[in-house]
Amino acid sequence: MTVSDLNALMPLTIIAVASVVIMLLIAFKLNHKIIQAICALSFIVSLVSLSNRPSYLSNSLHQLFIIDGFSIFVLALILFSGLVINVFSYIYFEEKEENPKEYYILLLLCTLGAEVLVISNHFFPLFIGLEILSIGLYVLIAYLRTRNFAIEAGIKYLMLAAFSSAFLLFGMALIYTDTGTMQFNLIADHLNKLGMPSIIFLVGFGLMLIAIGFKLALVPFHMWTADVYQGAPLPVTAFIATVSKAAMFTVLIHFFNTIGSNRFQISTLIITLIAIASMLIGNLLALNQQNLKRLLAYSSIAHLGYLLFAFLSSNKLGIEAVSFYLFAYFITTLGAFGVVTILSSKEQDADHIDNYRGLFWHSPIAAIVMTIALLSLAGIPLTAGFIGKFYILSAGIDAHLWMLAIVLVLSSVIGLFYYLRIITTMFSKGDKHIIKENLLHPAYYILSASTLLFLTICMIWFGIYPIQIILFIRSVLN
Amino acid sequence: MNLLFSISSVIAIVSTLMVITRKHPVHALLYLIVSFLAIAVVIYQLGAPFIAILELIIYAGAIMVLFIFTMMLLNLGKETIDQERKWLQPQTWTGPVLLSLILLVELIYLLSKSSSQEHAITGMDTKIVAQTLFGPYLILVELAALLLTAGIVGAAHIGQHKRRVSHRFLEEYNE
Repeated sequence: MTVSDLNALMPLTIIAVASVVIMLLIAFKLNHKIIQAICALSFIVSLVSLSNRPSYLSNSLHQLFIIDGFSIFVLALILFSGLVINVFSYIYFEEKEENPKEYYILLLLCTLGAEVLVISNHFFPLFIGLEILSIGLYVLIAYLRTRNFAIEAGIKYLMLAAFSSAFLLFGMALIYTDTGTMQFNLIADHLNKLGMPSIIFLVGFGLMLIAIGFKLALVPFHMWTADVYQGAPLPVTAFIATVSKAAMFTVLIHFFNTIGSNRFQISTLIITLIAIASMLIGNLLALNQQNLKRLLAYSSIAHLGYLLFAFLSSNKLGIEAVSFYLFAYFITTLGAFGVVTILSSKEQDADHIDNYRGLFWHSPIAAIVMTIALLSLAGIPLTAGFIGKFYILSAGIDAHLWMLAIVLVLSSVIGLFYYLRIITTMFSKGDKHIIKENLLHPAYYILSASTLLFLTICMIWFGIYPIQIILFIRSVLN
Repeated sequence: MNLLFSISSVIAIVSTLMVITRKHPVHALLYLIVSFLAIAVVIYQLGAPFIAILELIIYAGAIMVLFIFTMMLLNLGKETIDQERKWLQPQTWTGPVLLSLILLVELIYLLSKSSSQEHAITGMDTKIVAQTLFGPYLILVELAALLLTAGIVGAAHIGQHKRRVSHRFLEEYNE
């Protein structure tokens, strides 16, 4: 390990050390406030440490990790999202029945797993990162363990994630049997030498695709999504929707782009079908949902379909579109879940649509933030979501993917219906909503609210002047 | 070699099928141990004796013992002894014993053959494994440690009991 290696892995090291430090602090019985603050601090320091970009990785590290512009961008998004989730966690968990302290250790460890996934260039870190992420998530999902839905969701995720890990391992084993290496670029070299991939390789590739599809909740593998989203505590739901999916998507991009998956027609065909199915079915299933968490779960399936479309266009514009869309999706999803978190009470999450009836007349700011977040998810102009969708569409049309472009437009129209349904509910008259008796933690409430406002301003600002962030993405990617 | 491989693979599959069809957990565990033994023999034939031993020590040894301990702790009581005697019918243990015997014969045959001909097994001793783990893959070993941390913290949280504090006037729950 050289100094530049240590520098390169600094964001991971900080998060790992922070998790151990917090474990010690819990042993000293420090209170929730301090632990939350230290967790937030570690996210910030880790985010700052990303700025010195490593120029060179030593040989042993180079085998395992790839730290290119795209992975740095996704790392920054993940750490930012971790920070925001950490801020929302205080008011959510302080009022709950469970001891909230271990939550922060697991949050940090899950983030670490996601970071390892993002920079992996080898099957080993891929698998270990995935397992760190999954094992943390099993517990985080069932964190409020006295609630029925939580245990159900946790068990469901445990069974299915373990199953998908088995698929992933078997796929890796088959690819290793065929190529004799687990490093992405050496696999690519092997394929280049061979010309046509063997049947063993294709089977392994398919099995890996199943596991990745499961983690991303793409359509044939999406069954767990709604139940897990509904059962998990809100900050954890936000974490699954953003961090876990972005990390796995980065693996998908790194792996498939390195081995050049678009040279096998069959894989392109399958991914196209998955993308179409995800866009349509995700939006169709969301149409009649009364539960906001489930609705956002189905909408996230559709959003991953859009991202897959950008990935399929596999040109330079495609990767830019993916980066921008991830950015827009992150701030929007965090905003939407943030509002739900703030509105939730001690006993109950504000996840039923009736909780939002007439919200605008009680707490106009929350309603406006939610409206903007939903409009951005729907992709209405003047929001970041619109620019993201536009970017994806232009990348796709550039690559002549007409079929997918048409499906994207159609499914966006379907999507508009259920987003607008919530918005009309919020503006209609009514009085069925969760009343918060008194604000228990005014300072943290204000902190969360100002984070939400910041996210909202980002959504609008980058919807009107996207050029800054586009230039930034370009400079990072190159 | 090929025949031996097929036999142990078939034993692995059969015993795993038996695991998921048994009604009683301890009977299932017996078959699970046989399944691990069979897999260990398969791995040994593929030329990785170290991994085969690890499979035995870790899975058939440590994890199985943990399972059995948990079940024993759950079934405390006097009537359990009678129950256990009732459970220990020949029909429950002949299956696993038979399968293990086949594996034992195979293993003895393999050992005698490789000592006389000295061909099959090369490399993959502990030293090479250690050098690989603590050389290029050191960082992964560290990550695996954090993986275990996540598991332990999670288990500690999920398994935590709520302590009930009773008082004459007030009753409240503490963690």
